Amino acid sequence: MRGLSKERALQSLRARIEDIEKHPALRDFAGPTAAGNLFAVPQGVLHEVFVDAGRESGAGFGFSLGLTRPLLGPRRPALLLLQLAHKAQDLGVPYPAGLLGLGIEPHQIVYGQMDSATDLLWAIEEAVGCPAVAAVIADTGAETQAFDFTASRRLSLRSAAGGSSVFLLRTGSGREASAARFRWRITPQPSVAPPFDARAPGLPSWKIELEKGRLGSRRDPREWLVDWTENGFAVVAPKRAMGASPAAAARTPLSGALSAALGDRLSQTG
Amino acid sequence: MRIVALDLAASAAGLFAVQSLTDARAICPILEAREIDVAATAQLFAEFADWHTNASPLVGLLTDRAPYGDLCLDITGVEHLFGGEAKMLERLTQRLVEQGFSVQGAIASSIGAAWALAHFNPGTIVAHDPQTVLAPLTVAALRLDDAQIMGLTQMGLKQIGQLYSRSRQALTARFGSELLLRLDQALGSVNERLAPRLPPVEHYTERRFAEPIGLMDDVLMTARDLALQLTSRLEQGGLGAQTFHLFLYRTDHKVITLSVNAARATRDAHHIARLFIHRSERLGGEYDAGFGIDMIRLAASSLSPLEATQTGAFEARDGAEDLDRLYDRMTSRLGPQAVLRSRFVNSHIPERAVVFEPMVARTEDDPNAAPDPKLKRPLRLLPQPEPITVALAEVPDGPPPNMVWRRVTYRFVKASGPERIAAEWWTMPAKLQLTAQSAEAAQADMTGSFYGEGGLTRDYFIAEDDGGRRFWIFREGLFGFAEPKWFLHGFFS
Repeated sequence: MRGLSKERALQSLRARIEDIEKHPALRDFAGPTAAGNLFAVPQGVLHEVFVDAGRESGAGFGFSLGLTRPLLGPRRPALLLLQLAHKAQDLGVPYPAGLLGLGIEPHQIVYGQMDSATDLLWAIEEAVGCPAVAAVIADTGAETQAFDFTASRRLSLRSAAGGSSVFLLRTGSGREASAARFRWRITPQPSVAPPFDARAPGLPSWKIELEKGRLGSRRDPREWLVDWTENGFAVVAPKRAMGASPAAAARTPLSGALSAALGDRLSQTG
Repeated sequence: MRIVALDLAASAAGLFAVQSLTDARAICPILEAREIDVAATAQLFAEFADWHTNASPLVGLLTDRAPYGDLCLDITGVEHLFGGEAKMLERLTQRLVEQGFSVQGAIASSIGAAWALAHFNPGTIVAHDPQTVLAPLTVAALRLDDAQIMGLTQMGLKQIGQLYSRSRQALTARFGSELLLRLDQALGSVNERLAPRLPPVEHYTERRFAEPIGLMDDVLMTARDLALQLTSRLEQGGLGAQTFHLFLYRTDHKVITLSVNAARATRDAHHIARLFIHRSERLGGEYDAGFGIDMIRLAASSLSPLEATQTGAFEARDGAEDLDRLYDRMTSRLGPQAVLRSRFVNSHIPERAVVFEPMVARTEDDPNAAPDPKLKRPLRLLPQPEPITVALAEVPDGPPPNMVWRRVTYRFVKASGPERIAAEWWTMPAKLQLTAQSAEAAQADMTGSFYGEGGLTRDYFIAEDDGGRRFWIFREGLFGFAEPKWFLHGFFS
């Protein structure tokens, strides 16, 4: 009997430690509560966000913005969006009116257009060294020569020292060795139509795979199907019948999350 | 073909400036003649004038008689650096003669007198009133044009001294007011200002080298020392500056200028030195020291009062200063168009609603221009909307079922819209005219009405394809007017 209760005590302690490990960036947050944040990534890490093709890079960009929104705070007010100047017509230029719709204030953002990949790398390194920068999102596209393993190692060391996160948006299916702590792969998914219009596109919906890195414990899933709502990411059930009515599309709230803290979500009103 | 300029040997042979070329060749058969490119020569001379700022900060070109050839320096307060006016004149003319130029110079208390003496009595230095020195010179020394000089000589007024005794009204009536203006300018009764080539800076430090240097590293080290001196001087005055210029004077009459901008007024020597290091990296292969650099000057402009900062134990570390320094460093290395922020403009047209401006040159936000939060706008916008091919929609005003973009077909399963954005009629040049002819013309005109709306109205759709990718496309033009065209403008996430 005593052995069993000791076992149970150890089990509950392990669960508590994993809980604490799952939300390591709690102390630096100024945004929504950590419990409501599905991807509670720590600060000061290097992420690589992969999409399959250039036309889907909007999904990677939106996901990175979703991850950086909780990192912005009064001590770290700035977000830098860097891009190569000659790719501006290929991939598009960030549009501040659209970013406003995602909940990011335009006065916090600085845009950079660089001429070459070496300039881009230098700019990322400079920005990460500044203690008031929350995150740097750099669109590197298919450039692999300048962003090789040594560069990624340097970036991850600098971001760990400075405390700002770096997101490298890349395209393609080739995966090379990299010192990034997290590697994500984003695929856009068909969205669920809003309740008032069955033919309109709904909230942005993505399939997110965590290829490298661990968010919580080992049993946590590494693949999610999420919608991007105003208040953060919302996991949706993997099977969405095409004929099901939009209201019945099961939107499971986060397990163990305080859904009251998230406030009312647009998709569930009305 | 007339002679415009000649050197000393040619003038010694008896040639003069307005002679025709054939006459000149007849007098002197071994004459070498080249056609003059006035614009290029004026430009070269202007650069040459900039180099002379190493003698005095105020250098101007006098273009009254010719677009090049006359250089005027304001040496108030700097002659002691050369050991006196005579030594300064000798030094300046000597170094030009060593380079192969033929030069005549003079020092006087007014521009007009200096010009007159330099052309007709070179080497004179007049510290006091120039009246007596100017008297024996011809009237051509007063910078008048040829017709006036001829008129004066015909009247028998060949020397400036003869003009002193004439009555001013008579001279004005006969020759116009310009003669008297020039005379007064030469005598110093009317103040003539020099228009300096480079804007005058009050705060600068400089260093001359006994041996010319050439390496960029040495230049940057000197810049750091100069920055330390300059910032201590700024601190004494309670000032900070936003623009810093580094002038590198080469030994062969050329100046290299490097400028850096800071987002906020600063007098941190370390920061300034780092900005120049980044700026020099941007120079790349264009840096050419020639035969060496023998003087470096660091000047500060755009000054503003900056009170002393005191680092305290309880002060709240505001990240704004760190961010500004970061943007300064990035701008100095990558150029001013590399680091931008956005500003909203009060316009409905999407590509005009946002404008990007450099971070170091911020302007105020327009509070009326904030976008409507209910409108859905894409995350990324293409700078130029790309044309796409669509199949016909079910309904003329409806979204298309598919599109071909960059040679790939996308089939749309969902779409919302249209959002109509019309042309901004208030910027159209055509004015409303209520006449019968204009009304008929408008109806007959297939490409647009008074406001051009038929041709320029856009209907925007948000379309999602079967893979979940969301696009922002628009149709330009209304049905019934010209054939409408479809474009892709942006991407949603």
